[in-house]
Amino acid sequence: MLTKKGKYGLKALVHLAEMPAGQLAFVNDIAVANNIPKKFLDAILGELRNAGFVQSRKGKDGGYRLARPADEIKVGHVVRVLDGPLAPIPCASRTQYQRCEDCNEATCQVRHLMLEVRQAIAEVLDQRSLAEMRDIADDLPVARDDLPVKVQA
Amino acid sequence: MTGPTNSINSIIIVGGGASGVVLAAHLLKSPNPDLRVTLIEKRPHFGQGIAYSTLLSAHVLNVGAAGMSAYADDPGNFWRWLLERGLATPEQAPVYAPRSLYARYLKELLDDLETRERETGRLRLIREESLSISPTASGVEVALANGTSVVAHLAVLATGHDEQPAQGHAIRMGSEADTALDPDSRIVVLGTGLSMVDAFLSLEQRGHRGDIIAVSRRGLLPSPHRKGNPIKLDVADIPLGTQLSYFVGWFRDLIRENQKAGVDWRDVVDGLRPFNQKIWQNWPASAKRRFVEHTKAWWDIHRHRMAPEVYARVTEAVQSGRIRPIAGRVVGVTPGDGFAVEVQSRHTQRLETFDAARIYDCSGIVRDISTSSNSVVRSLVDRGLARPDPLRIGLDVSADCEIIAVDGTVSRKILAVGPLTRGTFFEIDAIPDIRVQCARLSKRLLG
Repeated sequence: MLTKKGKYGLKALVHLAEMPAGQLAFVNDIAVANNIPKKFLDAILGELRNAGFVQSRKGKDGGYRLARPADEIKVGHVVRVLDGPLAPIPCASRTQYQRCEDCNEATCQVRHLMLEVRQAIAEVLDQRSLAEMRDIADDLPVARDDLPVKVQA
Repeated sequence: MTGPTNSINSIIIVGGGASGVVLAAHLLKSPNPDLRVTLIEKRPHFGQGIAYSTLLSAHVLNVGAAGMSAYADDPGNFWRWLLERGLATPEQAPVYAPRSLYARYLKELLDDLETRERETGRLRLIREESLSISPTASGVEVALANGTSVVAHLAVLATGHDEQPAQGHAIRMGSEADTALDPDSRIVVLGTGLSMVDAFLSLEQRGHRGDIIAVSRRGLLPSPHRKGNPIKLDVADIPLGTQLSYFVGWFRDLIRENQKAGVDWRDVVDGLRPFNQKIWQNWPASAKRRFVEHTKAWWDIHRHRMAPEVYARVTEAVQSGRIRPIAGRVVGVTPGDGFAVEVQSRHTQRLETFDAARIYDCSGIVRDISTSSNSVVRSLVDRGLARPDPLRIGLDVSADCEIIAVDGTVSRKILAVGPLTRGTFFEIDAIPDIRVQCARLSKRLLG
């Protein structure tokens, strides 16, 4: 499952991928532009730095930038670091396996199918790079008329 | 990925060692009656590269017989071959067969192919040294040392491990310079890995009794095999594309958790094996470089292990002082009556001098592929038709085994398999990996 942490992390990285190469972004700017709580974002960026996806500089002119070109960082790489093994439900993981209280994992048909689903998730997410994710935005219609219309009461 | 290329009928394989024979066997599975496979080998025998030409029975395979089939789709092929000839019994498993026996298996396999293809004319063996490969308008031309040449649609390099010239005063074991020695003389070996172990076994066989000073940067000896059951992992479990330190941290934790549950570390290391190429290919260049520089020595002793019976002999020799492994480096060699070899310890910086009758180079590392001893490889690099991979441990090839020229052009006509491709495929030294690479390549080329 993609948690909020994973989602925020991806948004922050796409934000960095939109910056001119080498330029640093302030944490505050990333947080405001993407509607992410600043403290949470600090923690997320710290983890992304440990994994080698972003670099940071401290001080007044400090901030974050991608450690590598955006087309080299795959979405699946990022999600594993922030959310752990890719798995649609907790029992469908081999290293972070969590037993379901209410079923027998050996015979559970749901789990068997979900083990297959996780391979499919990995296949999609490991093919797509941050650069591709960033460029999806360019293909979206500018007017947000695909969003559900709120009916005024 | 490109689909099967139907126009390809003729393929030259340069190098008839293990990887060349394995590739030929996979190509000849194609039903195409017009297929022409030419296998060129400079040594008198096919199927025996550096690894399998040893006659010493103590030089056993470092992979159990059950993992050594030449065929990707028939993993039990070698094991059955052993059983059918009474060379092993089922209850003996895992068996670490002598490498000379594996050479015989490959020879018989090739003999069978030759017999089968005699009518069809699809397989041709040439015993001659290849000098160079040149692209032509319609394919490739391979020039041979006897002045003739062979043409085909494409050529695959299967030249195997590169033997680079020995360092300084050291010599390679088994080379012409490896003459008889006083059996009580002291020997210095550069390297403490599996090649050093091979050298020790050869010296024992020759009746050598003197001690062996084995020097490498870390002085680490390989671990022994143990019967086990690799853990099951999915690609979804494994962090890809991270910095090296992050990955190593994850892997150490995984081992620790499994050990807590009573699982042997070997089963964790072996459980990762199906993903090793993927992990390598997804790492940033900096992680690859760091791995080769700092982590590979540790990885190798856990991943490339010794047969238990070999380990027992080595351990005994270390305990009795016959073998003395030293973490350090050779800082000076003074020739005289033998050599005075000065070694500096890695940890204490202390210098120690050993009088040795001979220095063997068992470091086994490709230092720079562009200085390869293989004329075909060197001439490709010299003409800019091929380039070293960023780490210079092999040739730069695409994920489809095509060699990449100096200007970045991917060749459709000149390909490579086996250890030459380790810059792209990382673990591609052993049969279990090479056979998969050959099966994929055959499928792509011939459908």
